[in-house]
Amino acid sequence: MSRKPLVVLALVVVLALLPVFVHSDYVLTLLDLAGIYAIAVMGLGILLGFTGQMSLAQAAFLGIGAYTSAWFTTHLGWPVWPAMGAAVALSALVGLAVGYPCLRLSGHYLALATIGFGIIAQLVLINWKSVTNGSDGVTGIPPPQIGPWTLDTYGKYYYLVLAAVLVCAYVAWRIKTTRVGRALHAIRENEIAARATGIDATRYKIIAFVLAGAYAGLAGSLLAHDIKFISPDSYSFDQSVVFLVMLILGGSSSITGALVGALLLTMLPEVLRPLKSSYIMVYGAAVIAMIVFMPQGLVGLFAALRARFETRTPPRAQAPAGSPGPAGAPEAEPA
Amino acid sequence: MHLDPVANMQLLVSGLAIGSIYALVALGFVLIYNAVGVVNFAQGEFVMFPSYIAVTFLLPATAVFGTLVHWQLPVLVVYALVLVLMVGFGLLFNRIAYHPLRDRGWLPVVISTIGVSIFLRNAAQLTWGSQPIVMPSLFTVDTIAVGPLHIRPQDLLIIGVTAVLIAFQYFLFERTTLGKQMRATAQDRTTARLIGIRVGRIVAITFVYSALLGTISGLLVAPLFTVTKEMGGLIALKAFAASIVGGFGSIPGAIAGGLAIGVIETFGGFYISSSYVDAIAFIILIGVLLFKPSGLFGERVAEKA
Repeated sequence: MSRKPLVVLALVVVLALLPVFVHSDYVLTLLDLAGIYAIAVMGLGILLGFTGQMSLAQAAFLGIGAYTSAWFTTHLGWPVWPAMGAAVALSALVGLAVGYPCLRLSGHYLALATIGFGIIAQLVLINWKSVTNGSDGVTGIPPPQIGPWTLDTYGKYYYLVLAAVLVCAYVAWRIKTTRVGRALHAIRENEIAARATGIDATRYKIIAFVLAGAYAGLAGSLLAHDIKFISPDSYSFDQSVVFLVMLILGGSSSITGALVGALLLTMLPEVLRPLKSSYIMVYGAAVIAMIVFMPQGLVGLFAALRARFETRTPPRAQAPAGSPGPAGAPEAEPA
Repeated sequence: MHLDPVANMQLLVSGLAIGSIYALVALGFVLIYNAVGVVNFAQGEFVMFPSYIAVTFLLPATAVFGTLVHWQLPVLVVYALVLVLMVGFGLLFNRIAYHPLRDRGWLPVVISTIGVSIFLRNAAQLTWGSQPIVMPSLFTVDTIAVGPLHIRPQDLLIIGVTAVLIAFQYFLFERTTLGKQMRATAQDRTTARLIGIRVGRIVAITFVYSALLGTISGLLVAPLFTVTKEMGGLIALKAFAASIVGGFGSIPGAIAGGLAIGVIETFGGFYISSSYVDAIAFIILIGVLLFKPSGLFGERVAEKA
């Protein structure tokens, strides 16, 4: 475990040097996208993985962030950075507004209520033409500037995304390993017991919703300034499902898992491109296979393999039936 | 808002028709939920998939994998064929998407049903292409005159078939051993198993029954819209909303919720806004969740410790 900071540091150095060796715009675009999605998935991880609250509206929050950023920069002529701040703030605020009525819901009810919210949000994006320009989307979103530099290439933008991913991962890790994280974890495992031990479950669940909204808002804003064009169909229910699958594939309560899941599933469609239109079908089948054979996600799989090789470590316990998700066995998950 | 009684009556009939479809699909949700405690997010594909199979055999020519096939069969043969195929589909679905995960809580099952949904939608697109297909109607006229009203015969058929199915279900659940076993399984699986009910078989039958309800809704609704890979998704989400509005787990609630959402949506789409018509069901849903989470006919919503 003491090697862990070194491993993280080495990984960051490798990631930081990547654009020096990779010159393909195509690969860099994908890496940017993977990083942006990773932020949204980490946000979902705080809500579902840490707290056990299902949301199928993460893409809608991404949309709110993207459109806020686009509106402030193209309509009001704000610089990118305050617009990005506004995007995060508004998404967090909507997270609060959605989280509050959802407090008394859990499980399927929560999943459905969030789907309903996502559909309403998308209909608003399509029909509120004066702000969103309807189905045509918004074009001409400016790239961000740092002093004299404009982050106008995918290579330069990569550093912004990388920095954002690192900050978000750090924040998520701090949340997970401190008092708030333990409270969220307690709520996930058994909300009634958590309340009985004096945890203000209402407050912590709202915190989780707000954080998930803020993460998605940041991701949406980064996406808008990266590809400079947004339209409502990128923020659909299907995209929310993709975020959920990324999280579950990685390992739902692990930050590393969220990163790995986002990276793999952003690359997978590109790898499957030779299959042409059947790739999404394969993707659906893969989701079923994954959930049947790999309940703890990739991170759980690696932990299980490692446990098998280190004979002193006892084999990992299975998640108890009825636990709020494939998340379980916290001692086996790397942060 | 002008109050034209004829127009309002026509809206009411269309609303009841689409509401009947929501009610049938909602029943499918509720039966599976009661039997196994999970929500099937592929319920919409139980509507979409049989509709595609039906059009393949109803039309003189259909493109399957890009080649034209001429498999036209008589209407009743097609309906029988589709129903038989969907029995197999329900069994297979239970075997693949639910059975391996039955002891692992609700989230893995939800995700695997989402996986099935993604798979089937795209399998449908791959097989039948992305162009919407029109399912031929059983009727030669679009509307018939009933007094001063002009009503689509398809709407009347939908309402009639739904009424018959609801009566059948009532008979099944109240009067037959199978129905009583299904109710016992829904109420308490462990005790049901203790008194000798073969719970696994009852669960499989429930999936089949739910697939058949979806199939019938698909065959009924497809002539009104078109057959597309997306046709089931929104119907299923609204049906799910309907079952919560009615009180989740309650069969009369699912029927009442479905009819209510169909009617309110149709009037709302006409008088308020046709662009936001698909939002109406979810606005009602969120309102119900906020103010009366147990729904119209609901029991308690609180989760057990």
